Amino acid sequence: MSVALGGVAQASPAFRLHQERRRVLYLAKIRGLWIALVFFALAVVALARIAWLGAVEPGAQPLSMAQRLLPERGEIVDRNGVPLARAFHARALWYNPQAIGDGGAPLVKSPEAVAKALAAIFPEADEGRLLRKLKSGKPTYLARRILPRQMAKVHALGEPALEYPPEKERFYPQGSLAAHVIGFVDADGEGKVGMEEALQDRLLDPAGRGEPVALSIDARVQGALEDELMAGIEMHEAIGAAGVILDVETGEVLALASLPSFNPNRIDSDGAQNIFNRVTNQVYELGSTFKPLSVAAAIEAGTVKSLARRYPAREPLKVGPHRIRDSHVIGDSLNVPETLIHSSNIVTAQIADELGVERLQKTMVDLGMSVRPEIELPARGHPLFETKKWSRIRNMTVSYGHGIAVTPLHLASAYAAMVNGGIYRPATLMKRAPGEYVEGRRVFSPATSAKMRQMLRMIVVYGTGRKADAEGFRVGGKTGSAEKPGSGGYRRTSLVSTFAAAFPMDRPRYVIIAMFDEPTGNASTYGQRTAGWNAAPAVGRIVPRIGPMLGVDPDATRDIDLSDLKPLVVTEG
Amino acid sequence: MTEMSSLSPQRGKLPVARPRSRIEELAVWWREVDKFLLGLIVALAGIGIAAVAVASPATAADLSTASERLDPLHFLYLHLRWLVVGFAAMIFVSMQSKRDVRRGALLAAAGFTGLLLLVPIAGYEVNGAQRWIRLGMGVQPAEFLKPAFAVALAWVLSWRLKDPGIPVVGLAVAYFGLIAALLMMQPDFGSTVLFGGVLGVLILVSGVPFQRFAMFGGAALGALALVLLLYENGRNRILAFFSGGTEFDQVDLAARTLRAGGWLGTGPFMGERKMALPEAHTDYIFSVIGEEFGLVTCGIVILVYLALVIRILSRVADEEDLFAVLASTGLVALVGGQAFINILVNLQLFPSKGMTLPLISYGGSSTIALFLALGMLLALTRRNPYLSREGPLWADRGDDA
Repeated sequence: MSVALGGVAQASPAFRLHQERRRVLYLAKIRGLWIALVFFALAVVALARIAWLGAVEPGAQPLSMAQRLLPERGEIVDRNGVPLARAFHARALWYNPQAIGDGGAPLVKSPEAVAKALAAIFPEADEGRLLRKLKSGKPTYLARRILPRQMAKVHALGEPALEYPPEKERFYPQGSLAAHVIGFVDADGEGKVGMEEALQDRLLDPAGRGEPVALSIDARVQGALEDELMAGIEMHEAIGAAGVILDVETGEVLALASLPSFNPNRIDSDGAQNIFNRVTNQVYELGSTFKPLSVAAAIEAGTVKSLARRYPAREPLKVGPHRIRDSHVIGDSLNVPETLIHSSNIVTAQIADELGVERLQKTMVDLGMSVRPEIELPARGHPLFETKKWSRIRNMTVSYGHGIAVTPLHLASAYAAMVNGGIYRPATLMKRAPGEYVEGRRVFSPATSAKMRQMLRMIVVYGTGRKADAEGFRVGGKTGSAEKPGSGGYRRTSLVSTFAAAFPMDRPRYVIIAMFDEPTGNASTYGQRTAGWNAAPAVGRIVPRIGPMLGVDPDATRDIDLSDLKPLVVTEG
Repeated sequence: MTEMSSLSPQRGKLPVARPRSRIEELAVWWREVDKFLLGLIVALAGIGIAAVAVASPATAADLSTASERLDPLHFLYLHLRWLVVGFAAMIFVSMQSKRDVRRGALLAAAGFTGLLLLVPIAGYEVNGAQRWIRLGMGVQPAEFLKPAFAVALAWVLSWRLKDPGIPVVGLAVAYFGLIAALLMMQPDFGSTVLFGGVLGVLILVSGVPFQRFAMFGGAALGALALVLLLYENGRNRILAFFSGGTEFDQVDLAARTLRAGGWLGTGPFMGERKMALPEAHTDYIFSVIGEEFGLVTCGIVILVYLALVIRILSRVADEEDLFAVLASTGLVALVGGQAFINILVNLQLFPSKGMTLPLISYGGSSTIALFLALGMLLALTRRNPYLSREGPLWADRGDDA
């Protein structure tokens, strides 16, 4: 007890307060530790949640800088990097009735008021249709493409149900330039018509789409070709035109035009009917442009041993019930260069007859005339080519370009083989790498090819192709004016006028085909409708424009040597 | 060496070496201040600058109209301005003595409680809540009251050591009741919860027996539930939280933004989700950090806050003065609580509260108030590094003397 009393005596109020103070302080620190533990637990929970979010519920995959710059669909450029097709950021107006998501009305205001407000923003829209869509309660597009300005106005309406999702949009900065080559992308993101369709997989391939696809097209050359063909259409009141420019060594297509064209940025009904490609899809009987090919086959086969040999040309050729005639009597007899210069059906048919069915047919097959044109485009026409052994009369008509219908591209590839030393190579719209060797197949010997260059040049210097003779560019080529087949035979008034040319003939580098569909004769051509009056002059205008772009400079001092053949055609002077 | 007298100890007075100039005052401050804590504050403010910079375009675009276009970095410039002011205020406060801190905080508590009383009469509304009062500029009295409240409560609760007879807990609860009533009139549910949290922490730390604390805590939670049922906005938010919310509510948008950057983020200014996020620069800035700088950075932010809290509480463990212990704990509960509530809201682990992320979110008066709180913390944890405690902390049981 005394000890206890002693203890009580010690525990004065001041001492007790001191003891209490220490106890409380100690407790406060312990409790402070609890607080620290609570925060620690909160941090662990938060970190665990972050790990969960990152590992188990990752959001939309983050895009790296490189992926961000990667277009949804690869760009298409020309051979020099000029953009032909590229991505463009656009937005649509989408109605999402579930946006508010509380099961109530999809719109804040009445559908009538919203439709009225939308009609004010989009004056071209039909208010009644908008109202029906808004009332239907189904998600739908209200407008396929809206401008940023319109988007801001729609946003200001304050309707969560009106959404403006980004849309994949393809933009063709060159407008209708090379439209048939490029094609377009439809609403479902599918490439249509041109290389957009042919390259669909490659353009969408994540590994490759960062790199633009370079076509063989040269936008400058394409522009010149389209420009001059369009001028020709207007001048000659033709219903259409086709043109193609081909590199004779590589088969690269520098330009390919089918006119009238369309604008891939806006496919409307006017444009839709022009999507058909006259260069690769439409087959024509290309007429006299085939004559040099037949002559080349005969020289190659050795049935024409001397170009000076003369063939009778006055009387129409009778083959069974058929008669082969010329447009006018050219002379009593013609040698081979004269036949081409004056474009005689009678003599060409004789040469072909001498050559024989098998050999001409084989040459035509070797030149790719029996199959669809070899190019990447999806739209390629089946040639009208008799695959069974030809009859004698078909052999003769094919020799001057009738009884066979091919595309202008077939003709371009065949001419390239004829002038490049005799090797056929398929045409391509893909840019070839420098120095890339393209395997081909030999159709003519270099000697045959050399003779054909001379004669093609002579046609332009002395014959029907004179209006194509762009000074200093050494153009050579052959006209062809074929009547279009109609019901019950050929229509004498509807022509397909073609000029198939190459330049410079001393060392051919490019083949150029210009074709007008149903040109009319008017005052500018003194009433003439034949190729020498429309297609040939078009080539004569195109070559000086594109030559310098392609590294072919005009040079009046150079030309192919015609001295051995000149005496055969020039009698006076 | 002019004042030799001050160097000779006098009876009843501690020897006080008076700093002779501003420079020396600063030198002393630098020696005494918790530089690690200061470093954490600077780190968070730095993260805040980066975060506000990337969040600013989202809010600026939101608030721009056709006629008036806000600079994309508008809020960054404002934030930097407030940051400079706030930082200066923090340094100033941190240089004060504990006694001056207490005096200042008590004056502020009185003043801002008075202003809070005026809000229902003279305040004005922003976003449907009447929280602001105009004092030359718009001020939310509740923001400034938060740190002052923590210090004032700490002071009241520390009376029990002077005279155990004073019903300190009752007084504290009564003071809180007054403030809570005023806040719920605005209404400001988030702040009420925060004040309540500070009250709870302080009562717990002040040494109330745990059973009694648990009883009071249970009652408080019951009251909270009751209030929620009566308080529509809060009820909606909580119901939205438990039902998963609607597709496009703020929390959902924030979650999408947070996850959009993956572990490493899209890179500064490359985020797109943030542009659709309301309050990107304030309540949901944590999500913007997630998109732009990645979940890893979010984790680092959490660790920095945790380090800040632990650092202060461990400093407090060395403290001998109950008032300082309580005030520091209250202030850290305030700052840390606000930070973690905001983070948990962004992580969809807590109902939306409308609370900013301290030091990181953009804010005017709230930033200043926060820096004042941190200044007080720095002042309270300031210590002469050459003086150590008398004995080991955990041996000091108090009852073995």
